Amino acid sequence: MQHPHADLSAYIDDSLDPAAKAAVEAHLVACAPCRAHVAQLRATTALLQALPDPVPARRLVPRLVAAPSWLAPLRTLMTLASGAAVFMFIASAMLASFGTSASPGAATTALERGAPPAAQQADQTAARGAVAPAPTATPAPGAAFSAAGPSATPQPSVSGSPEAAKRADAAPTAAPQATALDSNTAQEAARAAASERRPQLPSPWVWLGLAIACGAVALALNRRLNVSR
Amino acid sequence: MSATSESEIHLLIERARAGDARAFEDLARREERALYRHALRIVGTNSDAEDVVQDALISAWRSLASFQGLSFRAWLFRIATNRALDQLRSRKRRPELPLDPPDDDEVTWAEPAAPGPDLAQLAGDREALAVVETALGTLPAEQRTALLLRDVEGFAYEEIAVITSVEIGTVKSRIHRGRVAVRNVLIARGWRGPEG
Repeated sequence: MQHPHADLSAYIDDSLDPAAKAAVEAHLVACAPCRAHVAQLRATTALLQALPDPVPARRLVPRLVAAPSWLAPLRTLMTLASGAAVFMFIASAMLASFGTSASPGAATTALERGAPPAAQQADQTAARGAVAPAPTATPAPGAAFSAAGPSATPQPSVSGSPEAAKRADAAPTAAPQATALDSNTAQEAARAAASERRPQLPSPWVWLGLAIACGAVALALNRRLNVSR
Repeated sequence: MSATSESEIHLLIERARAGDARAFEDLARREERALYRHALRIVGTNSDAEDVVQDALISAWRSLASFQGLSFRAWLFRIATNRALDQLRSRKRRPELPLDPPDDDEVTWAEPAAPGPDLAQLAGDREALAVVETALGTLPAEQRTALLLRDVEGFAYEEIAVITSVEIGTVKSRIHRGRVAVRNVLIARGWRGPEG
């Protein structure tokens, strides 16, 4: 008997022409060894189909789509923003830790403007008032200066506490008295300003967070730009 | 891949041919893993297989205008298979194995020496799969390629003939010889056929 061995694989793949297929089928009815071979080949095919799927370690599809043109400037912008936020973080942290030492500077400015010594005192008190209520928060003496400065200056032209300006107007010749009154008003104004100011001031940690966020965005953009090159 | 209809793929091909790189990336991503496993089993090492697929996809994108006749998948496999075989020839990793042995129709069938586990029940057996993987590696590359295209990738004989640029009779012979060779290795390891 002639075994149709060479056709057995094509037979299980259903790739024989009808005549050859019929011949193989007729043979298989009569031939047990060929039936066994067909079964073994089917099992082999099933094993090949069951082979595990290896996964590539990297992306194999080339990046053909160019990155949008605004991506590069945005990366630069984000890098600069990150740097600026780091600077702001350092600056605000330094101001917070040397907060009290900054008040004489505010007083000097007040002196330069021709304020009497009493105003100087008021200024210092105002600065202290800004620091004292919140030692753990972030006192910014610069802000304390700008708030306390104008109100402590007994000049009508300066925009500041309206009360102080009014009193300075009412008694232009009685300077000592006016400044004494002024210093009281300035203290009150400074305290009010300090309590109002606290929630508005960004903490140094906000700057740090901003720096990290901008830096992360810049890094991500950089990666995207490098990959598509 | 199965989630996308034939017409969607056709549309993607049309867009890619019109120069839409994103459409081509979409198409390529569908076949990335299949091309990789195919290339890996031809060239034998991960990094070579990755290079082969990457090069093949770039080449496919560049020669997209020449795509016709075949299915897109078969066309990609044709490019990748050619690259993988070229790679194998240039590296001469397996100089002891001729790429294309003389085609004589007589195939030796090893017979089971002793009764063992049933071949038909081995599909989930890790050891059996490892033996099959090793057996594949010992096949001549052209047989291995034809067998993989048929049994792993599911191409028809006619498609395999076009992918590997040979006559359909040669495809039939390579698949059969490769399959019998793998079966013989399994039999030699003590497994018996479903009816043996």
